[in-house]
Amino acid sequence: MAANNPFPLSRDALLGCYRRMRTIREFEDRLHIDFGRGDIPGFVHLYAGEEAAAVGIMSHLGDGDRIASTHRGHGHCIAKGVDVGAMMKEIYGRKGGSCEGKGGSMHIADLSKGMMGANGILGAGAPLVCGAALAAKFRGKGEIAICFVGDGASNQGTFLESLNLAAIWNLPALFVVENNGYAESTSRDYATAVNSYVDRASGFGLPGVVVDGTDFFAVHEAAGEIIRRAREGGGPSLLECKMVRFHGHFEGDAQTYRANGELEDLRANHDCLKKLAAQLTSAGVASAAELADIDRQVLALIEQAVVDAKAAPLPSAADLLTDVYVKY
Amino acid sequence: MARRISLKTAVNEAIDQAMQLDPTVIMLGEDIVGGAGAPGEMDAWGGVLGVTKGLYAKHGDRLLDTPLSESAYVGAAIGAACCGMRPIAELMFIDFMGVCFDQIFNQAAKFRYMFGGKAETPVVIRCMVGAGFRAAAQHSQMLTPLFTHIPGLKVVCPSTPYDTKGLLMQSIRDNDPVIFCEHKNLYALEGDVPEAPYAIPFGEANVVREGRDVTIVTYGLMVHRSLEAAATLAKEGIDVEIVDLRTLSPLDIDTVLESVTRTGRLVCVDEASPRCNIATDIAAQVAMHAFKALKAQIEQVAPPHTPVPFSPTLEDLYIPSAAQIAQAVRRTTGGK
Amino acid sequence: MSNPASGNPCVGIIANPVSARDVRRVIANASTLQLTDRVNIILRALAALRALGVRQVLMMPDKVGISSLLLRGLARERTLGNAMPDVAFLTMEITSSAEDTRCAVRLMRAAGVCSILVLGGDGTHRAVVRELYLGSTADAPRIPIAGLSTGTNNAFPEMRESTVTALAVGLHATGRIPAERALAGNKLLEIDVNGGAIRDIAIVDAAVAFDRFIGARAMWKPDNLHSLFLAFGEPTAVGLSAIGGLLQPVSPRAPGGLAIRFGDGRAGSAGAIELTVPFAPGLIRSVQIAAWTAIEAGQALPVDLPGGSMALDGERELVFAEGDAVTVTLRENAFPTVDVPGCLHFAAQHGLFRHPATSQ
Ligand SMILES: Cc1ncc(C[n+]2csc(CCOP(=O)(O)OP(=O)(O)O)c2C)c(N)n1
Ligand SMILES: [Mg+2]
Repeated sequence: MAANNPFPLSRDALLGCYRRMRTIREFEDRLHIDFGRGDIPGFVHLYAGEEAAAVGIMSHLGDGDRIASTHRGHGHCIAKGVDVGAMMKEIYGRKGGSCEGKGGSMHIADLSKGMMGANGILGAGAPLVCGAALAAKFRGKGEIAICFVGDGASNQGTFLESLNLAAIWNLPALFVVENNGYAESTSRDYATAVNSYVDRASGFGLPGVVVDGTDFFAVHEAAGEIIRRAREGGGPSLLECKMVRFHGHFEGDAQTYRANGELEDLRANHDCLKKLAAQLTSAGVASAAELADIDRQVLALIEQAVVDAKAAPLPSAADLLTDVYVKY
Repeated sequence: MARRISLKTAVNEAIDQAMQLDPTVIMLGEDIVGGAGAPGEMDAWGGVLGVTKGLYAKHGDRLLDTPLSESAYVGAAIGAACCGMRPIAELMFIDFMGVCFDQIFNQAAKFRYMFGGKAETPVVIRCMVGAGFRAAAQHSQMLTPLFTHIPGLKVVCPSTPYDTKGLLMQSIRDNDPVIFCEHKNLYALEGDVPEAPYAIPFGEANVVREGRDVTIVTYGLMVHRSLEAAATLAKEGIDVEIVDLRTLSPLDIDTVLESVTRTGRLVCVDEASPRCNIATDIAAQVAMHAFKALKAQIEQVAPPHTPVPFSPTLEDLYIPSAAQIAQAVRRTTGGK
Repeated sequence: MSNPASGNPCVGIIANPVSARDVRRVIANASTLQLTDRVNIILRALAALRALGVRQVLMMPDKVGISSLLLRGLARERTLGNAMPDVAFLTMEITSSAEDTRCAVRLMRAAGVCSILVLGGDGTHRAVVRELYLGSTADAPRIPIAGLSTGTNNAFPEMRESTVTALAVGLHATGRIPAERALAGNKLLEIDVNGGAIRDIAIVDAAVAFDRFIGARAMWKPDNLHSLFLAFGEPTAVGLSAIGGLLQPVSPRAPGGLAIRFGDGRAGSAGAIELTVPFAPGLIRSVQIAAWTAIEAGQALPVDLPGGSMALDGERELVFAEGDAVTVTLRENAFPTVDVPGCLHFAAQHGLFRHPATSQ
């Protein structure tokens, strides 16, 4: 079969990407259910529907490459290689979580994986990524940094200032606009005067590319080029991924701002995971049975993560006071 | 006529009535209408927790959904306030002040003084404050001291639906910039609220419980924790007086001094971080102005000097409890 | 200018909001025409149409920002008292894909537009022509298009000021110039998979590539090419058609086309010659040419690669597998375009823009 692989990635790599996308989907769909049951506290923003972007981009990165995520960060974490068990514990507020239960869904970070944190403040990641890219430039090992930003958050001054900063310093920084059409309940069409992020980038002298964010191969190929360019000293650029979110803004959102039938259509016709599965099977790279096997393994992994999270110890009173400073 | 409504409804009603009474009142914020430009319902959200739901139907385009650009729209509210409007800007969570702080403390706060008394900036910046929502470090802070510190800003943090409506009406009428802090864990609290519009003047603390032995000075959610503590202590024979500051700037220090002079004991309860907060400010002022009245050392009850943790276990430990307040009171009375 | 218009002529406008946004921006510094510029192009065209008496325009809607910016622009012009046609946006579901273009063409045809003004690159024009060509019955009136280039490396639409193009469109729409003088016929390549199971077209070039996936669509890697069919290719072009243009030019109006076979660098068999071409704006590359030959209209030429993809007018569009029978056929005089220089020369000759002097 491998000899017949028409794609620009090996069969193993392709199945690895499929597995990651499936892991994100399963993780998020499970949280959706568990949140509904009242098992999960706080604000939870799910990435389901947007997996192709995170995985298509992150498949080009190593641990030395840094990313700054958003409030909708689970997908970025999983794609960047953050441990799913630790993430689940974090979301359940347990010890052994990625942040020892202190951060929660909106703040999962794993610096050893180059994951600089999900973020509760919109637009906050962009300046941080300029810093990460500056550090990478000083280190000189060809590492890069990527800022993920929503279509809504792209209206923050921090984001626009960062585009300029990255441009004047020719930083190995990339800006990925995850354009899912909504910021909470407000549509992109209302909130953004010039609805093209590529135009914004050009305004700052950065090249920009638009791709169908629900097509793994489209994202993978375009991301590969802008990442290679950044690694080789070609400087910053912007990638706009047009994508769809399958759940509410956060869990508990009734989504009455959507059109009737909109969600059904997104799930039926714009599901990046379905698309990838169809591409892999129709090209004969993997059989439906093989993919189903991966699905089963992922399901078991998530199930185990939930079991482990629920069994994990709660933080203790002493934990409240630790880690405010390195030394005080 | 008064009816029982929630604090959330009180906010909604105050804005509604202020808009009816004064055509210059407008409101700006993210998703305050909700659904702008989207194919579904126009006011799908009415604010992230539904506080402004229904206002769009009554007042239409006087409520403006904004892009996610706090510097721009909070600044615009401030600019419009200098030019004859009475804007209310909603900032969702007070934590987001970080994004637009310059417009507030270098601009709005300074105009009147800096321009030799020639400017008025009647803007209200509404935001949610406080912990207990499992919303973690960037959506749970009680940043009241930050604003109280700055000359030129007024800071309000009500504890009841009645105070909320009256103080919000006053905030909108007031000709200075006001930071109006709504505790997200009090939105569901119900209380008697008159239907007719009314305003509660700033700088008037409310003695919510009279007592002889110890004065607790507090505001916001902590008023309720203090009342719980007082009920426990009453059974032990300790009679607690509770002063709800309601407005932190201006501060009704007279009511505090008067009370402490009578009781001789002071416990300051604050949900803000323990250094340089409202509690330490009250403690310092009492020490300066009523030292001789004190029969015991002043006690502070505040969270530890840490960010707000996510894990419910930790967050519950973080927020000052009625038990901690009661314990602090006992320390001032020597357990009696 | 008096308006001899037949009835109340209506012109359609299709503006692709996302042309010139692909990966070539990063690879080769290709330019990107900003939305605000695209909308200004449309506003200028509208002013010219209105000046010639076209009062009705049908516009494809979009969610990317052309519609909303255009509405703002029209409101501004109205406030300033400047005459503009009535612009109606088609009522259609917006998918933000090429399907929007196809759907808009169908609706415009049903609404009886005189012509369609197209803003975009080769790909956008291809989508319009595809729908007009494949989707209409033999006896249906053939709606002419007028193209304005906004894309990356366009061989088909002209780089021309929209005011001028719109004047030509207006002269035709209002009946001031007879169709036989106003319009020109164009060639295209018809692609057929398995005897009609899939039919598609290209208006400039159909490239066969070894890749068997679509990916980021744009065709920008010369090494992956197997063969190329050209309806025309001019030496002044950039992109795939430049390969033909620099080998053996064929003009858009001349009969016949060109077929090129690349040297399969992969199999180690070098080509007969190596040709340096502007493969994309700013991207000068060598390609191995094994053979090339002129092609005639009407001959179904087989694609002899067992499995690969086809890029139509520069974008990977279809993937075929071993056993699929793919053919390419050149068609002449397949669809009409408004001949902009022709129209304006005609107007000059016949004094269409002259008026008796107004007395002061
Ligand atoms: C500075 C700041 N303002 C407002 C918010 C509240 N908020 C959280 S997510 C969100 C919408 C974000 O939309 P977008 O950037 O498009 O990302 P998406 O949720 O669609 O992934 C808002 C308004 C915030 N977290 N931080
Ligand atoms: Mg969004």
